[in-house]
Amino acid sequence: MTTIDTPHPEALDTTASSDNYLTHSRGFVSWALTLDHKRIGVMYMFAVLGSFFVGGTFALLLRTELLTPGRTICSADTYNQFFTLHGAIMVFLVIIPSIPAALGNFVLPIMLGAKDVAFPRLNLFSFYLWIGGALFTLYSLLAGGFDTGWTFYTPYSTTTTTGGVVPVLMGVFILGFSSIFTGLNFIVTVHKLRPPGMTWFRMPLFLWALYSTAIIQVLATPVLAITICLLIVERVLNVGIFNPSMGGDPVLYQHFFWFYSHPAVYIMIVPAMGIISEIIAVHSHRQIFGYRYIAFSSIAIAMFSFIVWGHHMFTSGQSGLMNTIFSFISFSVAIPSAVKTFNWTMTLYKGTISLTAPMCYGLSFLFLFTIGGLTGIHCATLNTDVHLHDTYFVVAHFHYVMMGSALIGMIGGLHHWWPKMTGKMYNEKMAITACIIIFVGFNLTFFTQFMLGSQGMPRRYYDYQPEFQSYHIVSTIGAYIMAIGFFTSAVCLVQSLLSGPKAPANPWGGVSLEWQCASPPPHDNFSTTPKVGNCYDFSVVRYDEKKKEYSVDHDMEIEHDAHPAGGAGAAGQSGQSGQSGQSGQSGQSGQSGHGGSHS
Amino acid sequence: MLSIVSAILSQSPPLEPTPADFWLPIGASVQAHNVDFMFNMINYICYFFFVVVIAMMVWFVLKYRAKPGTRIRTDGITHHTVLELSWSVIPLLICLVIFYFGFRGYVDLITPPKNAFDVNVTAFKWGWQFKYPNGAQSDNLVVPSGRTVRLVMRSNDVLHCCFIPAFRVKKDIVPGRYSTLWFQCDIPTGPDENDGYHLFCTEYCGTGHSNMNRRVVVLPQAEFDAWLLKQAAWLDEIPDDELYFKAGPKIYARCSQCHSIDGTDGLAPTWQGIWTRITTPGGARFTDGKSYADLIGPGKEYATPEDYIRDSIYNPGKHLVAPFGNAMPTFKGQLNDRGVDAVIGMMKHLNEFDAKGAWTKTPPASPAKAETK
Repeated sequence: MTTIDTPHPEALDTTASSDNYLTHSRGFVSWALTLDHKRIGVMYMFAVLGSFFVGGTFALLLRTELLTPGRTICSADTYNQFFTLHGAIMVFLVIIPSIPAALGNFVLPIMLGAKDVAFPRLNLFSFYLWIGGALFTLYSLLAGGFDTGWTFYTPYSTTTTTGGVVPVLMGVFILGFSSIFTGLNFIVTVHKLRPPGMTWFRMPLFLWALYSTAIIQVLATPVLAITICLLIVERVLNVGIFNPSMGGDPVLYQHFFWFYSHPAVYIMIVPAMGIISEIIAVHSHRQIFGYRYIAFSSIAIAMFSFIVWGHHMFTSGQSGLMNTIFSFISFSVAIPSAVKTFNWTMTLYKGTISLTAPMCYGLSFLFLFTIGGLTGIHCATLNTDVHLHDTYFVVAHFHYVMMGSALIGMIGGLHHWWPKMTGKMYNEKMAITACIIIFVGFNLTFFTQFMLGSQGMPRRYYDYQPEFQSYHIVSTIGAYIMAIGFFTSAVCLVQSLLSGPKAPANPWGGVSLEWQCASPPPHDNFSTTPKVGNCYDFSVVRYDEKKKEYSVDHDMEIEHDAHPAGGAGAAGQSGQSGQSGQSGQSGQSGQSGHGGSHS
Repeated sequence: MLSIVSAILSQSPPLEPTPADFWLPIGASVQAHNVDFMFNMINYICYFFFVVVIAMMVWFVLKYRAKPGTRIRTDGITHHTVLELSWSVIPLLICLVIFYFGFRGYVDLITPPKNAFDVNVTAFKWGWQFKYPNGAQSDNLVVPSGRTVRLVMRSNDVLHCCFIPAFRVKKDIVPGRYSTLWFQCDIPTGPDENDGYHLFCTEYCGTGHSNMNRRVVVLPQAEFDAWLLKQAAWLDEIPDDELYFKAGPKIYARCSQCHSIDGTDGLAPTWQGIWTRITTPGGARFTDGKSYADLIGPGKEYATPEDYIRDSIYNPGKHLVAPFGNAMPTFKGQLNDRGVDAVIGMMKHLNEFDAKGAWTKTPPASPAKAETK
């Protein structure tokens, strides 16, 4: 529990073995009632990965059904439940909480240099709200399931005879509050718990991304809650709000729904962008290019996300003028996304790139997000979207963004922080193999769907024209390949828990604060307030050839940050504090970071 | 690009369809040229940026990959304002151009030329009904070539969406209001429905959503006019005693979405044995506990079984057979008296039809059923 912020690797070792957040207390109750953000993050991670397994199983089932036109394995009603469950589980139980609640909870306070989030009890409460929402969703299956599509469009959703609609709506309502509380917690934490020296523009970009996300969560999610209440009122009490046969307006529902659900898209993708900023910088050991542009583009995306919802409704019957305005504003989201992509690519330039497993996921993200983002242009353009709307083209587009980007970013982040979370290293070769299998499977699955969609295949179809079958076969094969990849990845991670070598404090050579406390971190993260420097200045990273691990010459970093040009002052400082044989040498200028890198 | 549309409107020669390619299906409407031009233009822009980003990524990763013993480089620049501005402003300008052309194309797409030929479209769970100004009705959409056609669409129940990929048009059909859609196709398809273009429902609407596909048949004006007359009169031209086997199966094609005649209860009660059921006093059959005998008979709500069937077609929600829900749309205004006669006749002679509703012409040698008519 002591000397967490020490630059001495040997001190870290003793700390890690004596006490960490996993061994701090034992027993079920110590986990169930924990206020430790790290434990809550880990519990979220298990919950989210479990839900991902369920949602993925539904995906495989529906891909199997689509192998042939007509009936393959199930009836139309069952298929409708499959795709509804797949969508609802993946959106509400997996992607929305995955990065902020699971990884964010674990990493945010440590990265920030805080001991916990601002409201630890609220944090635990939001986890149990998630459990409550998940239980309601589970109950809805027992109550007859639901076949409304995850969008719950009226009047279908208020008139369908499946019995699970109201329970799942309750579930989503509760999950929404879980999301709001997490967002609220993160906003207050970032504002109030930054240690001295951690200025806004010294925050790692992942924190900027989580902060932007938290703003969207807090502002947009209440609208979902209201909408769901209205839907339940209409369905249970027969009050006409959305159903035209009772004087309501179904298009009003779509406005309400997308007013939340479009920003929700950014709740999913912005944190993944933050992870990619970290992964690309750390594994290229290269100061992130255009820090401020990336940070502000996160905020810009958060702002724009509120005023583009109408682009989901170009064919819904909303007026041509509104379509035009929403199309125009939608293009504005393209700019911050493009800025981020170019900045990530430029970060690779003159870096020292280690092709580690997280980096492979990072590069996969870059590839898939580029496709996902560019195909957004087809969907934002008015006359092409009229053709593409509600076809597989849109399905492919949002899977490239939601899965190829958000989920791949999440899995990449999991690999990036896995040694920190568990204290174990995984088999790098196996993890990279898994990443490649997932990448290949993903593209087989979803790239074919672009062709399916532009050729005119509508989405949510149980039966289809025979001419589409060849694409569907490739897509289904891809889905199974992807499943093999995820399975490999799971085996790799479980294996590391059972028999993985002990992880060093800083396995990748990162500079942000989480790499300066032990792996796994102690209960309190930092016993003394940590010193904060430039979290992307990799010139202070040292590689110890004997121990085969990285360390950060901390005093040097502070000095270096104070005198960006390096020089004599820096050399003197590092000479005093240099414990490892290399620091004195490397302190001579900011230019000569003496780090090796494993490859 | 816009000149294409204005050229059409000023009676220029017929516009050939754009051929199907890797991305897009055949583009048979006058609007398709515009949409395809935009789609391809955006594609080329996407190819360019994709290649630039990925080539840079691969090149940098290969070139700057860490090898054992290499030092951490720190000579890379950390920001570059001109670069940042240029990759913000250039994509912005490109986006503005794309938006503008997409907007112009969209205005053409939603503004039908004057003097369009109107077709009334009713979408319901799970099928389509196309009605023409002279009263003709059709299950497939049949339209004249070389003439602007406007679909005036309404829904009987939930959201539906009319999508004709070959025409690049799509419009949601919202219950409680009219939606419109226009297109013009200059080149006729063959007269057979299998020659026609696909028409899909693209707004999820439940069990039969993926079976709401129909065909769009484009006929030359003269052939279309003939078809229209024949279609309007088809029920009247059939002699009374042939009505049930000539008209019955055609009408049953729609009933068959829910009502089987092979004895299986799907979303609605099967027709098999229906005439025996409703003419034989029996136990409770309705959701309110009443039996057929309570409703049908002299002095009761329905004097004859025929009255009951007729009302069930026009007011399907009035009495619900247990345990089925209120799922059937009304056919008031869609099925006239002769159509109802055909349905009733078919119910009485069900043993002359196979499981799919086709007339087999050779009724099993069973004694003629007691006919009340």
